[in-house]
Amino acid sequence: MAKNIMIVDDSASLRQVVSITLKGAGYDVIEACDGRDALGKLDGRKLHLIISDVNMPNMDGISFVKAAKGLPAYKFTPIIMLTTEAGENRKLEGQSAGAKAWVVKPFQPAQMLTAVSKLVLP
Amino acid sequence: MNLDDALQTFIIEARELLEHMEEALLRIEQTPDDPDTLNAIFRAAHTIKGSAGIFGIDHIVSFTHVAESVLDKVRGAELRINSELVALFLSVCDHLGVLIGHVAEGRTPNPDVHQASSELADKLQAYLGPLSHCEAMAGPPVEHAGKAEPVAAEAVSGGVDSDNWHISLRFDRDVLKNGMDPLAFIRYLTTFGSVVHLVTLVDGVPALSEIDPEACYLGFEISYRSDANKAAIEGAFEFVRDDATIHILPPHSRISDYLRLIADLPKEELPLGEILVRCGTLTRAELDYARRQQAAAAEQPSPPIGEVLVENRLVRANVVAAALDKQKQVKEHKAAEGSLIRVNAEKLDEHINLIGELIIASAGTDLIARCANIPDLSEAAARLSRLVEEVRDSALTLRMVQIGATFNKFQRVVHDMSTELQKDIRLEISGAETELDKTVVERIGDPLTHLVRNSLDHGIEAAEVRVACGKPAQGTIRLNAYHDSGSIVIEVADDGGGLDKQRILNKAIERGLVTAEQSLSDDEIQNLIFEPGFSTAEQVSNLSGRGVGMDVVRRNITALRGSVDIESVAGIGTTMRIRLPLTLAIIDGFLVGVASSSFVVPLDTVVECIELSASEILAAQGRDQLDLRGELLPFIRLKELFDIAEPLPMANDPDDEECAADVRLPYGAPKTGVTLTAEGIAALSADPELAFILNPVMRENVVVVQYAGHRVGLVVESLMGEFQTVIRPLGEVFTGIEGISGFTILGSGHVALILDVPGLVRRVVVRDQQRYVAKVPGAAERGGRMPSMIE
Repeated sequence: MAKNIMIVDDSASLRQVVSITLKGAGYDVIEACDGRDALGKLDGRKLHLIISDVNMPNMDGISFVKAAKGLPAYKFTPIIMLTTEAGENRKLEGQSAGAKAWVVKPFQPAQMLTAVSKLVLP
Repeated sequence: MNLDDALQTFIIEARELLEHMEEALLRIEQTPDDPDTLNAIFRAAHTIKGSAGIFGIDHIVSFTHVAESVLDKVRGAELRINSELVALFLSVCDHLGVLIGHVAEGRTPNPDVHQASSELADKLQAYLGPLSHCEAMAGPPVEHAGKAEPVAAEAVSGGVDSDNWHISLRFDRDVLKNGMDPLAFIRYLTTFGSVVHLVTLVDGVPALSEIDPEACYLGFEISYRSDANKAAIEGAFEFVRDDATIHILPPHSRISDYLRLIADLPKEELPLGEILVRCGTLTRAELDYARRQQAAAAEQPSPPIGEVLVENRLVRANVVAAALDKQKQVKEHKAAEGSLIRVNAEKLDEHINLIGELIIASAGTDLIARCANIPDLSEAAARLSRLVEEVRDSALTLRMVQIGATFNKFQRVVHDMSTELQKDIRLEISGAETELDKTVVERIGDPLTHLVRNSLDHGIEAAEVRVACGKPAQGTIRLNAYHDSGSIVIEVADDGGGLDKQRILNKAIERGLVTAEQSLSDDEIQNLIFEPGFSTAEQVSNLSGRGVGMDVVRRNITALRGSVDIESVAGIGTTMRIRLPLTLAIIDGFLVGVASSSFVVPLDTVVECIELSASEILAAQGRDQLDLRGELLPFIRLKELFDIAEPLPMANDPDDEECAADVRLPYGAPKTGVTLTAEGIAALSADPELAFILNPVMRENVVVVQYAGHRVGLVVESLMGEFQTVIRPLGEVFTGIEGISGFTILGSGHVALILDVPGLVRRVVVRDQQRYVAKVPGAAERGGRMPSMIE
């Protein structure tokens, strides 16, 4: 039973790279293009991990994390936030929203995989 | 519908059952006494076991059987359900999911899965019997549904293997709510190492009624084997650092690595924490944590970071101690470099020379002031003398450097040589802060190296011999320095076998240094090793005995106006004690007079002064030994030694003539034809020092000097007391002169020769030896006596 990981980012290419990397490592990947899209896909399906960007149209990452943490089915789902070096304040905001893990952009696919595997092994 | 379809049905059914089971397990914590819930769990296990049996899936049967047995006990109220048990069954549930998954994929489970099965079965078994099982958690982790299901374990008695890391984890209550699964981190560890032991701490779990199912109450003690460094291991806990207290203690084998790394760090001034981070024993995050702890500490002033680190079990105490040592070392190094001004040594020497001139000039002024008998002038001169003395002292300290740097060089020598000799030897240094003259420090390096090498090579025995003698296998060499009454003593001590006196004696006889008939004291035998051409090493080793013998060591030390002596106890060790003057430029001298000449005897060699009575003078006539309180004291008549002429016959007025000729006042007073006034004569007469010069009485005094354990009397006519002596080297023309080491200028402007006491003592010893070995050919040449000493 492969582990399900949701990747939320407005960049299609980034989603694609992350998706290929994670799939290659044996995870199942669900893609979402922004917070609103992602929230819509939180339909009760089993998710082992959510990877979310911060800056996104429609609904940003912080709001999405807050909303996701509010859903009983996803209360315990670990969330990795993608951030930039400069986003220290956003990081703190995100941490208080409930996203404790962070990967700083830009990142190598291998870095992402390491971060993911610290939380969920394939 | 074939068997495969049925199998598919089983798989679907089993998965459904497992889902029910999981659901019920999560519910049962709230309603532990609800029989329906418990039954649902039991039924699931029971049904899976039964169905698996039909399909012949034996490993599922045997695994489920144990689980069912435990559940049966719970149902029979023999066992009470608790969070630990729930957690265990959730693991069981997950593991069954894995097993079913394998069935669905038509694979046979691999050994890892079997191991996981047996481990879980062991844990279940623990509830069945009185057995207490140690639990090893290795191999692939159990399948897991992304929720909090920490593995519970029976406490393992904590025998941590020395080659394993010890990881101590205490998770915060909120860790699960933050999406962090403690187990995930432990699993991640297994990707680059193996968990040898894992003990789950359940002390924090409250009573069932108070339990918050969303909270994590667990702690883990993990014994972990990995080649990864501390930063990598800590990296596994990157995301949970804020939600957990993490202590990672290195294996013992790593500690020596850390200590070595600390020692090898460049000489750069770093905070303690930084040193520890650089050597890898502390990670940056741990340091930040410790700093916060330090800042938050209630006590004022806040505790040192080292204490905080050790208290929080972040770093081992001995590593902190090593880092502190390093820090101190670097600071001292910096202090020596940074806060001080570099001065050209030549300028400094020039300065010291000028101070020397100043002392002489001041002594002259003093003398004149006393002669002139003007109170104001005397007072001013006295103040000047005092200041000059202070200036002299402070000038001399400018040349003083700590011997520590020289000592520390030997760490490397000892390390390299002990490796080469395949001996286990350590170097202990004490008194590194002792200061001595820079020239002395520079020139003592070579003799010291020779002594240390000798100790390493000949002193310390091979490990087997040491153990056989009941000594620790590791040999110790100690370098120590301390001040001792105006001189500095440097000791090179080893805990080796001591000097082999018989071997030394045999060798000395072989080399013709002594005869077999001579009876020598232990000290004398030991000192034979300092004789030229002496080497006891039966096999000339690569390290010592390169032709540069101990005689060179002694010569070098003597050239520094120092001495070296040996203290050796067979089986206990040898101590070489080098005694050196604090400075080379200015010494406390003892001024003596022979006829119209003045000589300076270095005060530190003077033992006592005795006046010879007329009868004693008579008795000593024609001899060179006298009876000093029952002991034989060899003596030298300086008058004979230096062939000093009797003063010229006195002029008409001997007293006045004496004054004019002898005082030779430097302010240009004519030497002859001028008589002092009555006041001048009175003033000079009141001064005992001048009185000696003015009124030489034919009497003899003996200054007893001591060097290297030998006492010798120097027969002089007058004693003029202590005298600050600025040593002036003799010109090249005089280098061949024996018995004189330098000269100085007296306050009067006179030149006084400084006696080379070690040389004189050696001369007397040789003279005495010669008498004993007169029959041995060749001894006379070695003696090299001065003509004046041949009777």
